[in-house]
Amino acid sequence: MTEIGVNSNIAADTTAGRPDVAVKALYQQVLASVFRQGSARTGIFWIVSLVALAVFAPFLANTHPLLMKRGGVVSSPLLRHLTPSDVILVVAFFTAVVLWFFKRVRLTVKAIIFVVVLVVASVTAGMTVRPPEVVVYEQYRNWTQAGEIEWAWYVPVRYSPDDHQRDVEDARLKAPTGMHWFGTTADAADLLSNMLYATRIALSIGFISTGIAVVIGVFIGGLMGYYSGIIDLLGMRLVEIFDAIPTLLLILSFVAFFRPNDPAILLYSVMAIIGLTSWVQYAYFVRAEFLKLREQDFVHAARAAGLPLRSILFKHMLPNGITPVLITASFGVAGAILIESTLSFLGIGLPGESSWGGLLNQALGVGGSFYWWIAIYPGLAIFLTVYAYNLVGEAFRDALDPKLYSFR
Amino acid sequence: MLTYITRRILLIFPTLLGMTALVFFVMGMAPGGIGGTMLDRFGNLKSEEAARVREYYQKRYGLDQPLIVQYGRWLNNISPVGTEEREDGTKRFGVKWPSLGESLEQHRPVSELMAERLPITLLLNFISLPLVYAIGVGSGVIAARHRGGWFDRITSTTQLAMWSLPTIWVGVMMIGFLANREYVKWFPTAGMHDMEAGNMLFLPSHDAAGWHLGYVLDGLWHIALPVVCLSLGSSAYLMKLTRGSMLENMGADYSRTARAKGLPERVVIYRHVFRNSLLALITQAATILPAMIGGAVVVESIFSIPGMGQLGVQAVQARDREVVLAVALVGGLIGLLSQLIRDILYAMADPRVSYD
Amino acid sequence: MENRFGVKDFFIVLLLICLIVLVVLGMTQYDRQYKHMLTIEAVQQEQTGDLAKIRRMLEQGGVSMGTREGTMQPGNKVLGDDWIQPKEDEFTRMKRVYAAKDFAQGDALIDTFGVVPDKLTPLISTDLYSAYVQGAVLDTLCVYDPDTLGWLPNLATAWRISPDQKTIDFKLRHGVTFSNGDEMTADDVVFTLEWTMNEKVEAPRARVSLDKLEKVEKLDDYAVRFVFKEPYFKSFETAASQQILSKKFYSKYSPTEFNRSVGLLLGSGPYRLADPTSWRPEPGKPVQLVRNERYWGDPAPALARMAWQVIENPSARLTSFKNGEIDLYTQPEAEQYLAVRDDPELGKRVQAFALDAPQTGYIYIGWNEKRDGKTTHFADARVRRALTMLIDRERLVRDIKHGLATVNSGPFFTLGVQADPAIKPTPYDPAGAMKLLEEAGYHKVNGILVGPDGQEFRFRLTYNAARDERKRICTYVQDALATVGIVCEPEAMEWSVMLKRITDRQIDAACMGWSATPIDDPKQIFDSSEIAGTGDNYISYSNPELDKTIDAAREIVDMKKAIPLWHKVHRIIHDDQPYTFLYQEKQLTLVNGRFRGDVATKKLGVSPSNEWYVPAALQKYKD
Repeated sequence: MTEIGVNSNIAADTTAGRPDVAVKALYQQVLASVFRQGSARTGIFWIVSLVALAVFAPFLANTHPLLMKRGGVVSSPLLRHLTPSDVILVVAFFTAVVLWFFKRVRLTVKAIIFVVVLVVASVTAGMTVRPPEVVVYEQYRNWTQAGEIEWAWYVPVRYSPDDHQRDVEDARLKAPTGMHWFGTTADAADLLSNMLYATRIALSIGFISTGIAVVIGVFIGGLMGYYSGIIDLLGMRLVEIFDAIPTLLLILSFVAFFRPNDPAILLYSVMAIIGLTSWVQYAYFVRAEFLKLREQDFVHAARAAGLPLRSILFKHMLPNGITPVLITASFGVAGAILIESTLSFLGIGLPGESSWGGLLNQALGVGGSFYWWIAIYPGLAIFLTVYAYNLVGEAFRDALDPKLYSFR
Repeated sequence: MLTYITRRILLIFPTLLGMTALVFFVMGMAPGGIGGTMLDRFGNLKSEEAARVREYYQKRYGLDQPLIVQYGRWLNNISPVGTEEREDGTKRFGVKWPSLGESLEQHRPVSELMAERLPITLLLNFISLPLVYAIGVGSGVIAARHRGGWFDRITSTTQLAMWSLPTIWVGVMMIGFLANREYVKWFPTAGMHDMEAGNMLFLPSHDAAGWHLGYVLDGLWHIALPVVCLSLGSSAYLMKLTRGSMLENMGADYSRTARAKGLPERVVIYRHVFRNSLLALITQAATILPAMIGGAVVVESIFSIPGMGQLGVQAVQARDREVVLAVALVGGLIGLLSQLIRDILYAMADPRVSYD
Repeated sequence: MENRFGVKDFFIVLLLICLIVLVVLGMTQYDRQYKHMLTIEAVQQEQTGDLAKIRRMLEQGGVSMGTREGTMQPGNKVLGDDWIQPKEDEFTRMKRVYAAKDFAQGDALIDTFGVVPDKLTPLISTDLYSAYVQGAVLDTLCVYDPDTLGWLPNLATAWRISPDQKTIDFKLRHGVTFSNGDEMTADDVVFTLEWTMNEKVEAPRARVSLDKLEKVEKLDDYAVRFVFKEPYFKSFETAASQQILSKKFYSKYSPTEFNRSVGLLLGSGPYRLADPTSWRPEPGKPVQLVRNERYWGDPAPALARMAWQVIENPSARLTSFKNGEIDLYTQPEAEQYLAVRDDPELGKRVQAFALDAPQTGYIYIGWNEKRDGKTTHFADARVRRALTMLIDRERLVRDIKHGLATVNSGPFFTLGVQADPAIKPTPYDPAGAMKLLEEAGYHKVNGILVGPDGQEFRFRLTYNAARDERKRICTYVQDALATVGIVCEPEAMEWSVMLKRITDRQIDAACMGWSATPIDDPKQIFDSSEIAGTGDNYISYSNPELDKTIDAAREIVDMKKAIPLWHKVHRIIHDDQPYTFLYQEKQLTLVNGRFRGDVATKKLGVSPSNEWYVPAALQKYKD
């Protein structure tokens, strides 16, 4: 779903200010050339699967049975315990899939429909979906043991991420078994289940923080490139400052010093902080492009025609200068995921098990013990996701501007 | 040229000023304040007693003053010209020895801490850098020379993977599998030296008891894994760069001329193409070095190497403002200086590049 | 000149770099040698000094090997009945151990530190690690008996407590010298306390502990008097545990110089720094103490050297221990301790003693009874008792601490005199808890408990975000309380922020640790006078009877007389459950197997290392 969004952005942006047919051709050409590369196809496939896993995590890993009959009553505890965000994600996913198959509809219309559906779903879900606050996971296992459950359907992974198996003694840090395919964590929770839910965080951090960085970078870079002169000089100093600071240290101090207590707010602030510290490259590219473009005929023409500044900047110059930004952005997503996992690994980012990096942190026990399953699976997940984004980024770059890389 | 260099050097100062101001105010405005752990590590003191101790230290380090005053004071401390307090409490203005202040957590001069930690980080990096170049340039040249061959195909798929490898994962896996009694215990898990390194001979030696590693090899053995961890990404980057630059130069007019002269391909590549690519590659050190020093933060934390990066992470966790500032300052300075050197090298080596 | 950078130039640069590297390496090597030489020189100088002294003594004809023995019991003079003069001291204990057949002098004890200590200078050093080093170098007036927790004479030989409980006199031992040869007298004791109280010395922490001390007077060269402002049951501990500094040595420095110093450490203890002035922290280099040849005690400890290797990474520390590179690993993680204890292979390489003893501190959950002026669910003692019964603390200890902790029933050290051994922790009893809750007027609505006032039973359980273990405890409590329908939301908080919230009373419940002392003063945390302002009774717990009992007990300096009162305090707190006491951790220690003697777990942890020795055949470090 999400990477489709990126593609359509390119299309939407490159469309503006050019004859429709030619641009369609370019857009299709780029996509086609990206898809022609096997490596990029693999990368996109991995990302799409991750999106699917993230959206359907509750239907893949859950202690609550999908359907069960107990005491003569058939119920679905799983649906009952879905959170509003679970519901919104599923609705958004299906809307996107349906829209994808409507080839005839214009992209802008699709985007509007998508946003409307998303808003409506969020509001209704937020108002109506109320999962029980008190959850006792072990009750199902107790009931089964007591023979109270007549029949039940479970999802493939039979453990919720915060099911700490209080009914089982000594369930912590156990190597993979038939019950726990990827083993258990330091909190006796199922590793696979935790990883599935952590997919959501990895993906959203990547996109949102890169989005923030792109917006800031394009804005500052655009201003610098358009005005040049004193603003450019000041802007370049700002760019240099952010370029020179050891970024990880800055992010570390941001997060460590402004650590909100609420995990949800913490997640957003980590996103914002990664975004706030990684806009420099985008600003740099946009500025360079703008400096080149501002002397070109079509900008002169637009100015002569008396178009307002904003319109020149964003309608005419931006689409022409955006290409390198988009290429960098797909590498940026990979970078953001790396930074988040590093933060969590160092124990400064997201709390414990909600992130792949935090899970990886548990791999090296203090007793010199090494829990290989915790090292291999979450680490592999980070690596593959970063790799996938880099593959896609490289394919984009090859398609759009093969020479760009050698002059970083 | 001289004006260019002067201008570049002068521009470093506002950048450094902005950078430290940013770090300073980020920390200063945080809820909970600076020097958190130092100020709150009072065990079971009664709260009012703890408050008294806290007040003492706040005064001692000037933390009770407005932020802007504190920043001004810090700037005055690090500048070689400024006011200085004498032993007897009087102040004088003039040239003085710049000071990085005192660690809030460890109560020691930050310059001393940096003098201990920085060499270790630099050592790590200066061992990694040649390795990065050997691997990156070497494999890049081979890949370009046999373009489309098996080596080229393998490396072009693996280099991106290498570049994508998360350092934290590589580090954890290395410690877990290569420095673990359960698997293979080829490497030590942590630190810079063995316990008994102080009593070791300097070079490897042999006596009745068998071979002894010696001080130098012991150190190398300890930092082998961290160095590999640190070099992976950069080597991949450099390799890609080498290959691209070589290919570009191989297609250039002068190499076609050289070939037309009848020079053997080997000579064309190593004498002409490689030479022309080399400068661009060497100046890349200015990009790679700061990146690696940033990467050292992670590597040092994983392998418990007492370098600057680890100092930085610990200082951030302890909210030790002066140390965080110093690490940011030194890290930033290294980055800026290497950029400066790169640009000057460019200007000197390539007459086509003009700077006014 | 051709402006081109060719392959040749590249190799020239490479060669140059190699050359520079070689030169640097050479210089490092030279430095290493030079440092070695300096230490050797320093040792030589010391020895020359000693030789000269001996020669002088020989010339005066006054040498007798018996002086040491003679100085041991100078206090044999008859003292008044009010003087307490224990017959045993730590040397009697040591002599017993050293009488063993395989006893031998020599060898070293290599311990570990997590970080390089920032300073070794006493009073101004802030970390725990420097305290270990200072403990081996400096002597106190008295020391704890590890078996009984009573006091044994050390620098002091006898003491008396005045009837009004406000003054304590100490007789000092004769013939005690500091490691530089100066004699220790009452002046040094007075100096130490005056120096500590000097506002210019950066020792705010130490000053706070001397809060109730009014003054210290010299009675004669070998007697001092501590005068306190009010009778207080911990006065004796305050006086007896002061580490005595040398006046001659430390008064050379101004307070500013002292504050800036890093390694000014000189005392009368069995070990000393090779150079008492110039120690500097160096990463990767062990902190070393050598035997103090002028040590006054008899016998002197068997181990000739103590060193602390700095190993930051805990797993590396364990590896070093397993390889026999370090001899002592205090407070390993529970998993590490178990790995050594249960490792049959280890016996082949090193033999390890694994020792555990309870710690004086404890982990607890504090239930805030009043927030924003309104009473909370926790104001009802029945609710608090029910909460304790809902938490299976034995299970918690098994799951989180691998069984290496003991569930405690009150705020006192389980093995200490204040705790009443008859009071057992409330057992895990969910059914009983439910009954108590129903009695208190709670019932379930939509799966959530609702109180008599119609309020849903929900609260936030705050813990320090930096502690993984606390997080585990809190999620456990969350799951445990969920089974009866109480909504408990664990909330991780930055420590400094959490402290602020606690002093502002903006907290529902908190999971924290309290690092108590063997004899602890509960007034600070449970007395109602501590509710107001920023006092430490942040849970607004108040029980007038408890206040009265604590006040009465605090005034009695002689512990034996106060025991019934302290037991009563324990009982009241157990009944009221203002805190749910979770457990007292065990203090784990791993010791290399070559040490003999009294290597065992005592009440306060592992036995002091001066009661250890290494048989000649097993000795590892020869120097």
